[in-house]
Amino acid sequence: MKKKLVSMMLLLAMTLTACGNGGENTSADSKAGEVEETASVEEVSSETAPAKEVELNIMMSFPQYMDQWEDYCDQFEAKMLAEENVKVTINLEMPSADQYDSILQARLTGDDTPDLFTIQANNIQTYANAGYLTDLTNEESIAKVYDNVKETVTVDGKVMGVPIESTAWSVLYNKQMFEDAGITPPETLDELKAVCVALQEKGYTPFMLAFQEQWVPQLMTAVTLGGKTTGDIPDWLERMYKDEASYEEVREIFDVINLIMENGTKRAMEEGSEVGAADFANGAAAMFVQGTWSANTIMTTNPDMQLGVFALPVNNNPECTRINLATSTVLGVYANGLEKEVAIKFANYVLDDNDSSALFQACGFNPISSIHAFETASWVQDAYKYVEEGRSYQDLVLPSSVTDEQGRLLQELYVGSVDIDGIIERLDGAFKEANELSK
Amino acid sequence: MRGSRKHYQIFITLLLIIIGLFTSFPLILAFINSFKSNGELLSNVLSLPSKLYFDNYIRSLEKMSYFRSLGNTVFLAVLAVFFMALFSSLAGWKMCRTKTRLSKFLFAMFVFSMLIPFSSIMIPLYKVVLALGIKNSLIGLALIYAGLGESMAIFIYYGFVKGIPVEMEEAAAIDGCNSIQTFFLVVFPMLKATTATVCITNMLWVWNDFLLPLIIISDNKKYTLLLSTNTLFGQYSSDWTAILSALILAALPAILLYVIFQKNIMKGIADGAVKG
Amino acid sequence: MQSKRKQNFSLIMFALPALVVYAVFKLYPAVTGIFYSMTNWNGLSKEYDFIGLKNFREMLSDDYFWQSVIFTIKYVVVLLVIANVMALVLAVTVESVKKGKGFFRTIFCLPNMISMIIGGYMWRFIFYKVLYYMADNWGWKFLDQSWVGDTRYAFLSIIIVASWGCVGYLMIIYMAGLQGVPTHLLEAAELDGANGWKKFWNVTFPLIQPALTVCLFWTLNSSFQVFDVIYSLTGGGPGRATQSVAVNIYEEAFRGNIRYGYATAKSTVLFLIILIITAIQLKTTQSKEEEL
Repeated sequence: MKKKLVSMMLLLAMTLTACGNGGENTSADSKAGEVEETASVEEVSSETAPAKEVELNIMMSFPQYMDQWEDYCDQFEAKMLAEENVKVTINLEMPSADQYDSILQARLTGDDTPDLFTIQANNIQTYANAGYLTDLTNEESIAKVYDNVKETVTVDGKVMGVPIESTAWSVLYNKQMFEDAGITPPETLDELKAVCVALQEKGYTPFMLAFQEQWVPQLMTAVTLGGKTTGDIPDWLERMYKDEASYEEVREIFDVINLIMENGTKRAMEEGSEVGAADFANGAAAMFVQGTWSANTIMTTNPDMQLGVFALPVNNNPECTRINLATSTVLGVYANGLEKEVAIKFANYVLDDNDSSALFQACGFNPISSIHAFETASWVQDAYKYVEEGRSYQDLVLPSSVTDEQGRLLQELYVGSVDIDGIIERLDGAFKEANELSK
Repeated sequence: MRGSRKHYQIFITLLLIIIGLFTSFPLILAFINSFKSNGELLSNVLSLPSKLYFDNYIRSLEKMSYFRSLGNTVFLAVLAVFFMALFSSLAGWKMCRTKTRLSKFLFAMFVFSMLIPFSSIMIPLYKVVLALGIKNSLIGLALIYAGLGESMAIFIYYGFVKGIPVEMEEAAAIDGCNSIQTFFLVVFPMLKATTATVCITNMLWVWNDFLLPLIIISDNKKYTLLLSTNTLFGQYSSDWTAILSALILAALPAILLYVIFQKNIMKGIADGAVKG
Repeated sequence: MQSKRKQNFSLIMFALPALVVYAVFKLYPAVTGIFYSMTNWNGLSKEYDFIGLKNFREMLSDDYFWQSVIFTIKYVVVLLVIANVMALVLAVTVESVKKGKGFFRTIFCLPNMISMIIGGYMWRFIFYKVLYYMADNWGWKFLDQSWVGDTRYAFLSIIIVASWGCVGYLMIIYMAGLQGVPTHLLEAAELDGANGWKKFWNVTFPLIQPALTVCLFWTLNSSFQVFDVIYSLTGGGPGRATQSVAVNIYEEAFRGNIRYGYATAKSTVLFLIILIITAIQLKTTQSKEEEL
């Protein structure tokens, strides 16, 4: 029996070495690529034929707005048929948020990229550099996009995607509870401490904590880092990318993060983002470090909620108390798509003069272009007041591995398995590694 | 002696009932709460629903395109199992009957590749799928399952064939049957129980597998039950009533089949394990 | 007697359908996977370099990876013991119960029919809502733990859910083994004055060795690749505290720095670990069986 086993292992080793000739594989791959390219050229030349049929593959990360986008795709299909005699069939795929990245990546690596796909604005540079995105700078719809939003989707002076979800955000709060406790939004860290005390005296829990998904605790670093560096050390991020700075310089941000955790709801690790939003709406806490994108869930759960937004103070310098301006989701057009022309038309249609407003309003997105003529919700207006006063900053673009690491470390900080020194050391390490790899 | 026997019976029956409750606890709770309105669920998760609230189910049925997804899943699972049983019985039988080095080599190759983790082949497999143009094809997916799962199936068939006397086949050959006729007329009928085992264990696997269809199937008209359940989770992630009713709907067909065919299923699992 | 060549030809013909799907969907992807493990491909760009064994060298000093290996080994050992002991005890108990044998068997095996994705969500409901409800309203304070957030309890939760999913399956196999124990042997032992425990240990246990081998093999192989349970319950958190090797590989391949080449190098190592451990396990149990 032993002998048999050994011979089996040997045979296995032989299989592996016999087939392990990697060189052949790559050449086969590149050949397949060539064939596909020639095919796409033919496709383009036949595009002049009348009444043609076009299939468009779109992948988006908005499963919660599935219905709205499906309707919008139907509208686009109808419009194309009526106006240009093109029968478009859209395949809309909406994987859930935690699987989206891996599915998109599988599609990209398999040369099966959807004609249009959404990405995180933070990653736009990576995708643009890898050659996946089409330059949309000269498209008519882009011209009407607000400048400060346009900036967030611009890479090397070119607009590489249609901004969809653009938000001004920092902390959501329950206006009724604040009124009840006789307090107003804080401007400094000391005021925030006073706010926590006042709320607790009234029997309210100050902060909603929902740390089950790593991106939610990560929001705390996003807003505090942004405020701190914009107000105090504007060149910090630039130096981080050159390996010349450290999280030690922004150590202060953990003061407010600790304050939030100490004054938060219990059982944070068992609370997902959506459930957290629903609980916040039902009065579990008075404040929630969360973007206005969760307003939809909050308002459906409790339509009577009086929701507000204020900027989270980082320290006692009001210069650091600012609103985060971010574009979270961007729609990109695949640069080598077979139906690129129609895909660009769809991208334009997302910002269509007549139809776009209804879509953006139905999904609860903020206006991003002068064509969006709907009245924004009161909490959005709260946030834009800061922007008008010049008290905002563009969301810091960190390497996504560092962003992930921040989320993980804040979970660990919450459960007590790491201290601030450990966090600083590991974040510096993660940043260096990301710098190393992007060379 | 008699009294202690009786006490022992009562004791273990009680014990088993407690463990049984623990085992079915998640299912029972999901079931009870799926009939509540969201407000009732949040106020008390352990009470019986005050009145049966079917809206959750109506919404989930529609959102999941339930019957279409179920149809797809059945089609996929049956086809996958068919390919697997056919391919591996042919191969397993012949490998067992052929005493050459090549045969041993092939058998070892199949057996050891059982241990390859799925994560290491996922992306290359996806490239193969695209090159063959079988993305979004349920038939293609069934063939992939056959390719991934047949190692185990061949292993099982091989073990069974070893126990069947070769005389029957020799007699058939003398009667003028060629190999193919021998296989289908003589050998395959004797492998019926094994085939049932292979079909049952793999049916369970294909039915409950998630990652592979997630990557291969992007067209929601071809979604399997788990994929459409997953989509619904994305859409209603803050609403436990929607999630729980979808969970029950997704688990229901497998549970029903299990209750109906449980004898065969148990036998299938046991035979597959012990003989293999 | 046919010539070897002729035999081999007919072997290939019969095995052809199986060989084709196997080669295309398993062998070729596995071999390309090994090739990628020697590149610095990031999974996105069209270009990548062949870097030999550099990924494997880097792995040696990758603390997160080894942490996940240690976690996985801990998980495998604990699950192996708990699930098999529970399954065996259940099998013996169910076999000895007079009434309702079929019923209990059905109930215990039920979780095995449900996908871990579905089961994982059902348990999430229990860990996130039900246990706290009991703690708050029934005063069962011992349930007021962070079932997913506290590292110790998170491990416990994972083990509970994983056992829930596999004990029934193992139980069926053990029950089949038990039914193969001839009653006359047990009666003979009884006549020799052996009590219940002795009977089990001296007569039954040696005879169910094959079932034990199969169950150990199955638990080892599947628990080394554990992904679903952890991913749906804790996502590997808090931080990286419950990251198994498969979760670590998944994160490396699809998140953060998206290092696909490095991730495949890790899965190659995972494959080797599984191969070696399975080989050792088969060898020891087989030599034990031969002894008997």
